[in-house]
Amino acid sequence: MILEFMRDDHRACDHLYTEAEAAVLAKDLEKAASLFQDFAEATLHHFDMEEKELFITFEKRTGMMGGPTQMMRYEHQQLRTLLESMRLALSENRPNDFFGIGESMMIMLQQHNMKEEQMLYPMIDRALDTDAGLMIQTLREMVR
Amino acid sequence: MYSGLSLDQAPPISVVTRFFLTVPIFGLALCGLILVNPQAVLTPNHPFSLAVIHLFMLGVITMSMIGALFQMQSVLGGRPIPSAQGNAFLIHLFLLIGIASLSSAFILNSPPLFIVASLFLGAGILHSANLILPLLFGGGIHDTLRGMRLALISLFITAVLGIIMASEYANASFSGFHEAIRTSHYSLGLVGWIGTLIIAVAFQVIEMFYVTVAYSAWCKRNAFRIIAAALLLKIIWLFGALPLAWMFDLVIAALLIGFATTTANRLNMRKRRVSDVSIWFWFFGIGLLVVSILFYGVFEVSGYPPALSASLIAFALFALSVILGMIGKIVPFLVWFHLNSAGYMDAPIMSNIIPQTRAKYLFALTVLTAFLALEGVILPDAFALAAITGGGMFALLLFNLMNALRLYRHTLTHGKRFEQM
Repeated sequence: MILEFMRDDHRACDHLYTEAEAAVLAKDLEKAASLFQDFAEATLHHFDMEEKELFITFEKRTGMMGGPTQMMRYEHQQLRTLLESMRLALSENRPNDFFGIGESMMIMLQQHNMKEEQMLYPMIDRALDTDAGLMIQTLREMVR
Repeated sequence: MYSGLSLDQAPPISVVTRFFLTVPIFGLALCGLILVNPQAVLTPNHPFSLAVIHLFMLGVITMSMIGALFQMQSVLGGRPIPSAQGNAFLIHLFLLIGIASLSSAFILNSPPLFIVASLFLGAGILHSANLILPLLFGGGIHDTLRGMRLALISLFITAVLGIIMASEYANASFSGFHEAIRTSHYSLGLVGWIGTLIIAVAFQVIEMFYVTVAYSAWCKRNAFRIIAAALLLKIIWLFGALPLAWMFDLVIAALLIGFATTTANRLNMRKRRVSDVSIWFWFFGIGLLVVSILFYGVFEVSGYPPALSASLIAFALFALSVILGMIGKIVPFLVWFHLNSAGYMDAPIMSNIIPQTRAKYLFALTVLTAFLALEGVILPDAFALAAITGGGMFALLLFNLMNALRLYRHTLTHGKRFEQM
């Protein structure tokens, strides 16, 4: 359940990124900045859902404090820095840098998503068991 | 319940690049052999032909795939390869000596070299399988992991069959099962190892990196079961000398055509429209896979030997095309990633590590080489030309890799670094 919910959210974020990238490609930088803002907000909200609710609950249930969730938090931090660099590149009218940094960001983000979808979310699903539905409700209600 | 699971980021960069750097060197060696005697390379079972085939399948394809596995394992397998640096060093060294010995053994018809090749290649491949396979069992399971399991099991059996054949060559004594062993060896190597690993990776990479519609869950769940069943039954049929073994080739061919068309369709409908040479490599590779299957069909129906050569060449170039596309992404990413993670503020961005222009030249040389090599099945002169363009392709690959590592080392030495927190 958690797997499907969070995986769908990953894909929704990816879709927002493709729209921003397409706008930069079309040289419509004003539209691109707005679309990129949507993508960045959605991605940061996804990180918040994990760091403020999902990971904490998982760690309490399993007692795994310094394991995979810690590494995911570290990667969130790296990705936040990249998102900020991309936002700066757009605001300073440097589309080539936007694409250059974007390529690294996209590979890193997708590797990060793969680890979560293949390993971490199934573990969280097992740990939460019947409480997974309640957790999804909590995540849905989190304010952006 | 979760012991041993780790989501570590990546092994040190040298673990992966040592495998990749050897790829163009073996590539240049095989192009040299083709140039020396193109006619012999095109003659089935000729020592030159066997040397070139093994240089390509082991030195170019397997070397890159094992290097990539060291990187992929921590992302897809959930548990990183233990002592990655030491194990990569050993496996790489064993493969290096084994591949060089095997190719030399074919050319020189040298029994001692066949024994050396068996020892080192056997040790390298069996150790790789023994190291990685247990990590793929006992944790969570997903479709790509199933594919990786099948690929490694196939590689393991391919190596065992190869060792048996090498001992036959060393003793110049061939058992009654030689033909069954030979056919099982190349079926498992081509489809079970190379084809399966590419499909397994595509199931993850195509959807996520290019933002496409997902492959159907049924396909992902059953593709590897179908390949495994078809290969197992084919081997039983071969050793039992039973009729209609081609049925299993038909099943595999249908599955590969399905994979090729589905992948092409997904790439064509991808949401990311930014120009990316790796997509060209995927499209071209998929096209070559279809060409390979069509030529194999022609051979099965007509028994015309050049059709089999063309099928093998197209399959090898399909794998090469996909691998070149992936190396062109992985290496710049790793250079950037390791520098960035170490806190270097001026880590070069990916597009400055292997510029698009050079990636496009590499693609153009790959396309030219493929056309000339396929034409070369009929015209040996074209095959010799393919060796020249192929040599250019591998030389450019070597330059791209060396330059990427030069940039990495230069930044390590001269780059500005954030203070460690």
